[in-house]
Amino acid sequence: MFSLYDVTDKTVTIILDGIPQEVPAGISVAAAVLGKGHVHTRVSPVSGEPRAPYCMMGVCYECMMEIDGHRDQQSCQILVKEGMTVNRQILITEGPQ
Amino acid sequence: MKELMNVSTIGFDVAVIGAGPAGISCAASLADIGLEVVILDEQANPGGQIYKNIEKVSDACLKILGEDYKAGKPLVQRFRNSKLTYFSGACVWQVNTDGHIFYSKEGNSHEIAARYIVVATGAMERPVPFPGWTLPGVMGAGGANNLIKNGGVKPSGRVVLAGSGPLLLLEAVHLIEMDVEIGAILETTPAVPNLSSLVNLPKALKRIDLLKKGIVMLHKIRKAGIKHYKGIRNLTAKGNDRVESVHAMKADIPLDIDTDLLLVHFGVIPNTAIFRQLECRHQWNDVQRYWFPQCDKWGRTSLDNVFAAGDGCFVHGAVSAALKGELTALAIAADMKMIHEHERDKQCAEIEMRLKLELAPRQFIDAMYSPSQALYKMPTETTICRCECITMAEILEAIDEGCVDPNEIKALLRPGMGPCQGKMCGSVISEIISMHTRKDIREAGSLNIRPPLKNIPLSEIAEIELLTK
Repeated sequence: MFSLYDVTDKTVTIILDGIPQEVPAGISVAAAVLGKGHVHTRVSPVSGEPRAPYCMMGVCYECMMEIDGHRDQQSCQILVKEGMTVNRQILITEGPQ
Repeated sequence: MKELMNVSTIGFDVAVIGAGPAGISCAASLADIGLEVVILDEQANPGGQIYKNIEKVSDACLKILGEDYKAGKPLVQRFRNSKLTYFSGACVWQVNTDGHIFYSKEGNSHEIAARYIVVATGAMERPVPFPGWTLPGVMGAGGANNLIKNGGVKPSGRVVLAGSGPLLLLEAVHLIEMDVEIGAILETTPAVPNLSSLVNLPKALKRIDLLKKGIVMLHKIRKAGIKHYKGIRNLTAKGNDRVESVHAMKADIPLDIDTDLLLVHFGVIPNTAIFRQLECRHQWNDVQRYWFPQCDKWGRTSLDNVFAAGDGCFVHGAVSAALKGELTALAIAADMKMIHEHERDKQCAEIEMRLKLELAPRQFIDAMYSPSQALYKMPTETTICRCECITMAEILEAIDEGCVDPNEIKALLRPGMGPCQGKMCGSVISEIISMHTRKDIREAGSLNIRPPLKNIPLSEIAEIELLTK
């Protein structure tokens, strides 16, 4: 779907689903997770279907992920930071909070 | 410019919501005049969607995005040099008619107050549901364009573009320049332009430079050898856990194209959430099929202290948005006796002349890409509300049972109650009701928008330090 390029430029390391990942600095969390090759970023708590960022401009809320311990964050609006913990919300049993 | 971090409550002359071209131009002009201005924006950096990341973009990206994108640089530079208060990463979740605004930033909510409110929340891509649109790998073309502006991330594999409007073709050109494989462009726009658009052609010719840009885009697409179909129907994304292929009909011929990514675009509509929450009076645009807040030439809405600037009040594009932001600033400055009305009108005349030239081709383009209500004749299995997973069949059943108001349908089935608060399904439900009850869209009603506009935890609301009046 997406891939990273220019990673030789300035980068930061985020902990994505428990694994340290080097990603370009200055990009959104949603962009980084898509760029790392992930296809879906959450499952719908209603239907259990996999979902991925759709609008990328803060409207649709499909990009919600757990960022630094806070669930349901709009990952397309938040930029990656060094050491940031990001978890995709991909376990069906978690359900809405 | 000061960037305040830990101040809970402050009073200002003007609060501007949104740091796109309209918001930053308006805020900078007001600050130059000497007013106390606060600007609140969801994003990390100024520029809005159109000039996203303009300050840090790489030269390679700048080359792909071109001169229209580069035009944002001086605007953002002027804004950065202005003496105003700028809160980035600030999500506004409630606006009151008395000028009190509540917003969330880094997990904490705050209240501010301002005499005037300028809502410059811009436009969003028109949500048009179709079977399979919830599959990962289906995304807005504008969204994918944001990824390009971000830098560092690009589509891989084969991409199909579908929908309507000049931005769809622009995205195709960007992808060509990034050497991304395009499987096809599937346009819902008819192959032959409709008569109403041609009527507006003479006026549009005043800006032959803009029309030429369109022709250059089409030439690049043709030269790249991309299959480009017009007048397609029955768009469907297929796949199990992700999009694997796209299906559509061109007349009686089925098109089935394998793809890794489907980018869709059906034009842009004003993001009216804050205007709706404030219960500003709205009007319907019959050509582009969207609601917009009723306002005068200054952007003043039906509420005296609330202004609408930029694409949020009517979609005119980025250059016009900045000009409209300046008109709003003039009106507020005159209202607050910071400039004389003569001065306001003199400056207004200059801006209006530039605006007129900018808008010359707009009616032609809007009519050429006018969406048909038939877009909303989705198959019954289509998911309409992405958050609550409500299908077309469920909504039609509710209508047949007599629920013909969007708010009744919301109460019955929950569409519009999920995290996006109806931003994705609200306009769609009104169109479905209008079609199936054969009522004019103006009579079909709209979803009521209530605070909080954003998904924030109750604990955060409980912890706000409130302003004492």
